[in-house]
Amino acid sequence: MELFNSIKSEWLKTRKSAAAWLCIIGGLFIPILFLIGFIYNHETLATYGEEGNIWTQHFFQVWQAMVMFLLPMGLVLATSLITQMEFRNNTWKQLHATPQKYHTIFAAKFIVILGMTGQFFLYFNLGFILSGIIPSLLFDKALPNVEFPFEQFLVSNGKIFLTCLPILALQFLISLKFKNFLVPIGVGLVLLVATLIMVGNWEYAYLSPYSYGPLTMMGSPEMMEKINIYWLSVIYFVVFTTISYAMYITKSEKG
Amino acid sequence: MNCITTENLTHHFNKNEMVLDDINLRVPQGSIYGFLGPNGAGKTTTLRLILGLLKKQSGAISIFNKPFAANRIDILKKTGSLIEAPSLYAHLSAQENLAILQKIYQCKKSRIAEVLQIVGLSDTGKKSAGKFSLGMKQRLSIAMAIMHEPELLILDEPTNGLDPNGIIEMRELLKQLNKEKGMTILVSSHLLAEIEKMVTHVGIINKGKIIFQGTMDDLHAAQQESSFISFETGNIELTNNVLIQNGLHAVINGSRLTIPMINKEKIAAINEQLVQQQIKVYQISTVKNDLESIFIDLVK
Repeated sequence: MELFNSIKSEWLKTRKSAAAWLCIIGGLFIPILFLIGFIYNHETLATYGEEGNIWTQHFFQVWQAMVMFLLPMGLVLATSLITQMEFRNNTWKQLHATPQKYHTIFAAKFIVILGMTGQFFLYFNLGFILSGIIPSLLFDKALPNVEFPFEQFLVSNGKIFLTCLPILALQFLISLKFKNFLVPIGVGLVLLVATLIMVGNWEYAYLSPYSYGPLTMMGSPEMMEKINIYWLSVIYFVVFTTISYAMYITKSEKG
Repeated sequence: MNCITTENLTHHFNKNEMVLDDINLRVPQGSIYGFLGPNGAGKTTTLRLILGLLKKQSGAISIFNKPFAANRIDILKKTGSLIEAPSLYAHLSAQENLAILQKIYQCKKSRIAEVLQIVGLSDTGKKSAGKFSLGMKQRLSIAMAIMHEPELLILDEPTNGLDPNGIIEMRELLKQLNKEKGMTILVSSHLLAEIEKMVTHVGIINKGKIIFQGTMDDLHAAQQESSFISFETGNIELTNNVLIQNGLHAVINGSRLTIPMINKEKIAAINEQLVQQQIKVYQISTVKNDLESIFIDLVK
């Protein structure tokens, strides 16, 4: 119950925040671009042709644009913005003077970040579906005439979500440690760009915690056979979260 | 009974710099305790230690007669605080800032409107706290501190940024909370004049050490002790001889002689002796140190 109340209070803090806007805008950005492209060219999902399920083709096209750069960058920004909110507003002392256990505060913050990432996925999928449906209704006067592979999309979303976890955990760690907002953002962007250069050029690129999103799309079959990026994501997530917690709980100045 | 007790509280920021040295605070239940000291004396560090915001290095802290570390949650449920600059979420309105605490303390939603009314911020509507003046931010911080009707209120320089009217309002509010709700209030300040009209007890800290602790009456007694008598006469030397005969050591200050405070009968007797020796007595006056000068003397 205490954790639930803490989550509710943490969630309230994200209202009207830059991270909340980033979540909405970031989630809808690529689907809207696709929608505009379809409308501008008077195309619908039907133009993808006969090969394979047109929804699946659309799904991977939209996600490909997202997971390569925008999603990891969004995660870097949003996690830093939410975590740094306490430093920016000088509110750590207020938060730590409330009757909440330290591990509850830590968990509530991290759960809210995970929740916002989930919210982003929701907006993105909603945008993806609408970007398929709206042009079909406009130009074909009918819904796409193929089965919607709901289960496959759910699994794929789950897998992409897993690849986000190491980034979230590492950014959370850096944002808790450093007062200066530029540190988590700077470190995140530098590591992300370096990872994008490494992916495809270096066989050990999978060692970077930022690589798993891009690898889902760009990973060579040989590399993907050798490693399981989802397990690696979970391992990094657990390691980074444990380090963050140890750092947070042993901090001698709590505000 | 004491609401807050610290025993031999000592704190270093590094090996050479001792910030607090053997602090033994005694904040009685139901009191308004003024914690005074110049900037950098160690007030905020003491308050941060009391609230668990700084890791204690040595000494003991008890609040409501319970050791703080082992009872942190129970103690904080009954404690409201404002430490240094206001702690507010700038992108949220006053109401939303209070709603965050309402979720944690699980108090009634109607309490939000109540505390906004108490601090005079009912009309701020959707305006975000970031756009508030410093005085409004300070008042919202007080609202946040009293949201859950705490038994103990710890306020670090709550009048910072307030105009004279705001200071008077704050003083009245704290007196009212103390009287009507029985709240024990520990309030720090670097200005004695600002809190002397409100507090029942005073602790003065300087360079990390408590140099005075007691009731306001104790401080007034100290004020009495530090007062002196000034003589202005026609003959300084003869007057000095009379004072020496009476066992008093005088300090010559221009055309005046000053001696430590003595009782009225003795003043009258000395005056009689001076007149008998045909020394013209122009003025005998009592010079009282105001509390502010005592404070300044103590922290020198």
